[in-house]
Amino acid sequence: MKTLKALPPRGTIAAAVFLAIVLAGLIGPLLAPAGPGALLGTSFTPPGSEFLLGTDHLGRSVGIQLVHGIRTSIYIGLLAGITGTLIGVAFGTLAGYRGGVLDEILMGLTNIMITVPAIIVLLLLSISLDTRSVTVMGLCIGFVSWPWTARAVRSQIASLREREHVDIARLSGSGTMRIINVELLPYMMSYIVMAFVIQLYGAILAEAALSLLGLGPSGTASLGVMLHWAIAWESVRGGQWWVFLTPTVFITAITFSLLLVQSSLDTVFNPRLRVGKAAR
Amino acid sequence: MTLLRHILSKFAWYVAAFAAALALNFFLPRLLPGNPVDSLISQALRGTTSSETKQRVYETYIREFGLDQNLWSQFVTYVGNVLTGDFGTSFSRYPADVGTMIGDALPWTILLQLPAVLLGWLIGNLIGALAAYKRGGFDRSVYLTSLFLTAAPYYCLAVILLYGLAVALPLFPTGGGWSFGLAPEWSGVFTMDAVSHWFLPFLSLLLVFIGGQAIGMRSMAVYEVDADYVRFAESFGLADRKIVGYIFRNGMLPQITGLALAIGTLIGGALLTEIVFSYPGIGTLLYDAILNKDYPVIQAVTLLVLIVVLVANFLVDVLYGFVDPRIRAAERGDR
Amino acid sequence: MTLARINDLAAHYTAGDTNHHALDGVSLDIAPGQILGVVGESGCGKSTMASVLSLNPGPSLRITSGTMTIDGTEVDLADTESHRRLRGGTVALLPQGALNALNPTRRVGALAYDILAAGDKRIKRAEAMERTASRLEALDLPPRVLRSYPHQLSGGMRQRVVTALATLRNPRLLVADEPSSALDVSSQRLLVDLLRRLVSDGLVDGIVFITHDVALLSELADRIAVMYAGRVVEEAPSRALVDEPHHPYSQALLASVLVPEPGTRGRRVTGIPGSPPDLKVPIAGCPFAPRCDHALEVCEQVRPPRNAADARVDACWKNAETEEALHVG
Repeated sequence: MKTLKALPPRGTIAAAVFLAIVLAGLIGPLLAPAGPGALLGTSFTPPGSEFLLGTDHLGRSVGIQLVHGIRTSIYIGLLAGITGTLIGVAFGTLAGYRGGVLDEILMGLTNIMITVPAIIVLLLLSISLDTRSVTVMGLCIGFVSWPWTARAVRSQIASLREREHVDIARLSGSGTMRIINVELLPYMMSYIVMAFVIQLYGAILAEAALSLLGLGPSGTASLGVMLHWAIAWESVRGGQWWVFLTPTVFITAITFSLLLVQSSLDTVFNPRLRVGKAAR
Repeated sequence: MTLLRHILSKFAWYVAAFAAALALNFFLPRLLPGNPVDSLISQALRGTTSSETKQRVYETYIREFGLDQNLWSQFVTYVGNVLTGDFGTSFSRYPADVGTMIGDALPWTILLQLPAVLLGWLIGNLIGALAAYKRGGFDRSVYLTSLFLTAAPYYCLAVILLYGLAVALPLFPTGGGWSFGLAPEWSGVFTMDAVSHWFLPFLSLLLVFIGGQAIGMRSMAVYEVDADYVRFAESFGLADRKIVGYIFRNGMLPQITGLALAIGTLIGGALLTEIVFSYPGIGTLLYDAILNKDYPVIQAVTLLVLIVVLVANFLVDVLYGFVDPRIRAAERGDR
Repeated sequence: MTLARINDLAAHYTAGDTNHHALDGVSLDIAPGQILGVVGESGCGKSTMASVLSLNPGPSLRITSGTMTIDGTEVDLADTESHRRLRGGTVALLPQGALNALNPTRRVGALAYDILAAGDKRIKRAEAMERTASRLEALDLPPRVLRSYPHQLSGGMRQRVVTALATLRNPRLLVADEPSSALDVSSQRLLVDLLRRLVSDGLVDGIVFITHDVALLSELADRIAVMYAGRVVEEAPSRALVDEPHHPYSQALLASVLVPEPGTRGRRVTGIPGSPPDLKVPIAGCPFAPRCDHALEVCEQVRPPRNAADARVDACWKNAETEEALHVG
């Protein structure tokens, strides 16, 4: 809790913005009068009293799509973030704590996965799947995004392992799982939280990028899918700003606020990076 | 000799990574359930009316990839084709050669991204070093702007720039590589026209690279500004730009990795910018291929991106071994 | 006639809501041709004083009062931008940690040119190289050093290069901030000889040498100032201070180190009980009073006066009263 108090104001504001958007994604779809796919009006109706954010090329409400889109994007992001963080922490901890051959194998795999760009693997996966449910997409993104976390956790664990309290636990006969759970992971919590925020950020970006390429989740709205159709139907060149600006602004707001939260957490744990107060 | 060993061991790593990439590229679309190659072909030919075309594509595909053989020999055939530069035939633009299509698109992508990466690297690092040295309000505004530029996905920035500077304020063309009615040729008129189409996508990439590099350099230079050599230089009243130059030089070495990696992800990294601007490069080629389910083109593009990324990573590792002997020493001790 | 003088200097560092009072009413005189030693424990404010004297106060230091004169001109302590043109030419800093003071990616010659050009923009490269080469030669360094990167030089050579660069523009005053603390004994010896030579050859007019090493100062310095908790508690000619320290803190400090000279034998080495005061709160009386064997009631409450006599100064109530008694008697 002390950590949260030490968070710089911009971190607090960013966290509040992110939570407000998440809330919109949770509550919005419940309040919406129709589903995201419903054709409610004429195409490209500008924002007004009838449609708060106007309609898209098919006459669907941009506002309803937005709240559903936020829900989809956050859901995929959370699922992928949790999957990626869990795999990364598990691999990193095992490799760092056990060392030896297991370390070599796991880190070899990690290094290869880091070198091969995740977006390409996702692209290959996505074109092979005819229908892509949001859950499958979230899991796919999670399965390719763990290597950075694994590598970082491994190096942290490898240095934690040398600490005295770990030696004492080992000498007093604690099992490996107990040492990892009681002596190592608690010291890693702040680190894991930061890794998770980065994973969440990366996953939301990955979903948006895939959807923009036309490989988004089937049968539902997501922020990336909205942007995909906006660009495919030339709404930027047509000047229908509400259609493309809505997903653009929200993708940017989500990712920017997440990155601000992460960088604020970083300055809390890493005082050297604090933005200098005194000018030269 | 340690250097040679370093290069060889790195090379072995990258050969392994390349094999993995090649296998992914080949097996992933083929092994997933409910999606055998036959259905790829029927999907690809959906909407094609001429039965003659259907038959020809089908036969070509069977022949090229040896579909009558088992998966393993297909893979061998595929690797053989790739190694001889044969990427097959396009589904959607039959009978265009995929290699030729990529060859047509590649120069546009390179001309767009290489200048953006190089210039963005230089400007971004200078700004980052200056911010770390000056601190205070300047630092804060550079930091937040850069954070914003990198946090906002680069295609979002591209969308906003396109709308702002080509639609709302019609200063630049709204997309494409050149104006309707012209054809690519080496003439003054065409070059001017192409440059005006090139500028906005270039700018959107440039800003993103500046942001990313400035953040990297700043966090590096924060450790440099308190170094003894900076204090000593300050004690002589050296001009700020001189001292920023010192910090830049010393913080630059790790940032060279950033440059090389940026060039490596060049083709893969900013494909989406091209889509926003309908720029006739690899990104738009990939986008069209995905929309048309043109698998040979998709696979050729992903393979190209994979190869470029791997080669760039390898070059960085080798270069680093040359530039900094400490890296090699650390590597032996650390891992 | 003084070369440099600071008068009643007070300064603090600000960190969050708390102020750290690093300097509290410090006055010092440096005469031409003189080496003034400043000694004290870590945290006594000696390095802060070095940064002010060399006109390099860090961004977080606030100077709240005091005046400073160097070479006849008054320095505006509030306007740090005006310091820039005095740095390097009028005052120069010989830094702590000289081994890392050279820019690792710049050749010595190029760095020397930057330094000279900071004082004289029109200087020609050839002239700069010539001047640097002759200064390097004076410090027994070969001309090839000009073309070397720092990592190609030995530690001792780097120390001399830093010294040569610090004095390159013939500064009036050289402020040496613990330059010896990281050196082995023989390198210290060389540095001491070098600094003496700089003064006797007239390359610099005066040196302020800051250290925690009293023994070293007793050999090098003409005068020694003892600092404690941000104040100068005593200042006297070296010989006199070492032989007969007046302030109880100076006595304790000297008793805690071995001075390898006649008379040292049989003297007991003792530590000083207690610990230095917390500088976050201003101190009304004498900062040493809580640790002092001779403390009177007044010591805790009222700032001690400056007792000046026989070319030496101390700030101690006990001495003030003794002196008063002498005057009365």
